[in-house]
Amino acid sequence: MSARWFVVPGQRPLAALRALRIGSNRLHPAPQAADGPVVLFDTFDGQVAAAGRVLLGDARGLMLLGGPQGPVWQDPAVPGFVADMADGPVRAALGGIVSPLRRLCPIGEARLLRQPLALRDDLDKTRVRCDLLALDAGGRRAVALLRAQALRGYGPALARLAEGLHALGAVERLDAPGVIATLFPERQEQFARPAIAMAPDTTAFRVATDIIRAHIALARRTEPGIIDDIDSEFLHDHRVALRKVRSVLSLFKGVYGAAQTDDLKARFAALMTRTGRLRDLDVYLIERPAYLAMVPETVRPGLGLLFEAFAAERAAEHRDLSDHLQGDAHAREMRRLARLFDKPDARLVRGPMADRAAGDFARRLIWKRYRRVCAIAASIDDRTPDAQVHALRIQCKKLRYLLEFFAPMFPTAEVRPLIRALKKLQDVLGTFNDCAVQQAALAGRLQGLEAARGARKLEMAKGIGALLTVLDQRQRDARARVVASFAAFDAPATQAGFRALFKTAKASA
Amino acid sequence: MKIIACYSNKGGVGKTATSVNLAHALARDGQRVLLCDLDPQGAAGFYLRVKPSKNLKDDRFFKDVQRFTDAIRGSDHDRLDVLPANLSFRDFDVFLARMKNSRSRLKKALRAGGGDYDSVVLDCPPNISTLGESVFRAADAIVVPVIPTTLSERTFGQLLDFFRDNGLQKKKILGFFSMAQGTKTLHGQTMARMRAAYPKRLLDVVVPFASDVEKMGLHRAPVADFAPASVAAQAYDRLGRAVMARI
Ligand SMILES: Nc1ncnc2c1ncn2[C@@H]1O[C@H](COP(=O)(O)OP(=O)(O)OP(=O)(O)O)[C@@H](O)[C@H]1O
Ligand SMILES: [Mg+2]
Repeated sequence: MSARWFVVPGQRPLAALRALRIGSNRLHPAPQAADGPVVLFDTFDGQVAAAGRVLLGDARGLMLLGGPQGPVWQDPAVPGFVADMADGPVRAALGGIVSPLRRLCPIGEARLLRQPLALRDDLDKTRVRCDLLALDAGGRRAVALLRAQALRGYGPALARLAEGLHALGAVERLDAPGVIATLFPERQEQFARPAIAMAPDTTAFRVATDIIRAHIALARRTEPGIIDDIDSEFLHDHRVALRKVRSVLSLFKGVYGAAQTDDLKARFAALMTRTGRLRDLDVYLIERPAYLAMVPETVRPGLGLLFEAFAAERAAEHRDLSDHLQGDAHAREMRRLARLFDKPDARLVRGPMADRAAGDFARRLIWKRYRRVCAIAASIDDRTPDAQVHALRIQCKKLRYLLEFFAPMFPTAEVRPLIRALKKLQDVLGTFNDCAVQQAALAGRLQGLEAARGARKLEMAKGIGALLTVLDQRQRDARARVVASFAAFDAPATQAGFRALFKTAKASA
Repeated sequence: MKIIACYSNKGGVGKTATSVNLAHALARDGQRVLLCDLDPQGAAGFYLRVKPSKNLKDDRFFKDVQRFTDAIRGSDHDRLDVLPANLSFRDFDVFLARMKNSRSRLKKALRAGGGDYDSVVLDCPPNISTLGESVFRAADAIVVPVIPTTLSERTFGQLLDFFRDNGLQKKKILGFFSMAQGTKTLHGQTMARMRAAYPKRLLDVVVPFASDVEKMGLHRAPVADFAPASVAAQAYDRLGRAVMARI
């Protein structure tokens, strides 16, 4: 006898429900109505809504709407990282949908009216118990949900009530992004990943400019989260956005004038340099539990000391970066960059490729890059020096960016499998690279310890040593999978997919 | 799971009022309770606003697990369900045996259909001669309302004799005084005499004659629902606790 949930349309849901006639049965409001403020929560990038759920909290508890079994409740608390929440059904459900790296934050306030109702028959006997949950964010922005549960033996009454509700326009699927968009329209923009409209005959200049403008805006939106240190993903997203800008500048050759391109490259590179160290430290700290689990128990205390040092360094680094992000110089530079791309025709110097049709331009770039990936991969066997593997990784990354930038111009069903195949190969190459980079960094750290002294140093050195051994092993494992991973990527279907979408008549000549 | 039968070999003594209010008191106390309306008149169902079910007139009823569980109706009161009246008693003993057997299909169906019951309260009709014995054997307690009059005194004695003559467990019989009127000397004398005669068979509970009980028909609800502080509601609460203490 599970409950059914309905989204009730209209501005006056309670009045509409009271007016409903189900044979001789009618819905009567019960006296115990409650009305109070609630806060809606989600991650910055809207992971809860994307999973079809809505998370609310008030003095009575946390409530997670939507989902296959309907809403779940648990004791009141301010949600943050899922791992830090008290055990309960809400936490359990969130665990499956929210990244452990993301913090749940308030996204808006509303009033929640909870009005119990009873569907009663001509003897005034209750047949179905209902609960109206009406969320009101003011200014006619409201959403109403009705929970209906038949008393034992009154299933048919609930079925008839459902028919009546459907006739009112009620639906039984919670459109979570729709709920958020209705209640907090201003929030919508923040959620959205940049969707850049482009057609094959759009100019390359226009596409490059649109992509860069959107990513500058995205980078800007992540700044408050970095400053407030909400979670590490803000900085990560910030860097990804800037990296995309830089890859447009380097991959879309000739779209802007040479001097213009060099100037922009230097300025965006400078922006990213400011954030590099903090991101490295974030990565170490994110990996802390995994690293500790990888080494023998005896060296864990030493490694713990290393992470304490990382954490202290991170705190200082974060302070510096937030000061910088809040400073005038940064604001001025970001404003200037944004302004260039807001009025590109007047402010940006066009290069020789500026007026190329984006469709041709994309095909040419992608096909060339794909060929280069294949050529390098063909030269790699199990004994090839690591430098070649790194080269392959970089080419794959560029190919991935190109595919993603231009994806809106190609049929999704055809591009997506290619991206997915590439991503699998990149995962192996990424592990290989991360292990290499981290080994180098830790080795440097080990060297730095020479200066320190005492038992602490010895302990740390032992910890780092053990970790280096594990990372080396991991890197070897990844290396051993490179050849097979490329072979998988090189499957005939993927080859055919690249050829069909991107090989132009000219290139084949 | 306990089976509590409200029974008397005398009519109009308050069996139905007792079973409804007792079931409600147990449910209020946190138990999951099924009230079975065995009286074809359907008086218990009436007090809980549950319409008699057409399905129930069928002879096969008690053999057919699905039909049985489908016939159960949730009352307006938390944890209190009703099996409405109008059933045929032919296989009632089979039903009672199944209620007691935790591995029976009936029990499994009950558990699947929203939970098993902690207590099953039977509102027995005044003349269940053919059924009487199977109810007496299956029940854990037989709650007997006794109006403190000479006639009731005699029928209570007859019930105890019947148990002795038929090898039934007398200790299941739990009498209590119902519709007692403190102003009547006769009532007081009868109660004193009976307590002396049957000290173990009479609970220390007296449900007074109260207009609130009569008003149940008006409200179509248990007394505690519309007059929770009333003497009658408190008396039924005490009755619930006293019965549970004996089983
Ligand atoms: N404690 C009480 N005070 C006043 N009136 C009562 C009390 N208990 C029962 N009554 C009234 O007495 C009448 C008979 O009660 P009830 O129907 O419960 O008895 P019964 O034993 O079930 O009768 P039957 O043998 O017909 O099934 C009803 O009108 C009821 O309202
Ligand atoms: Mg009766």
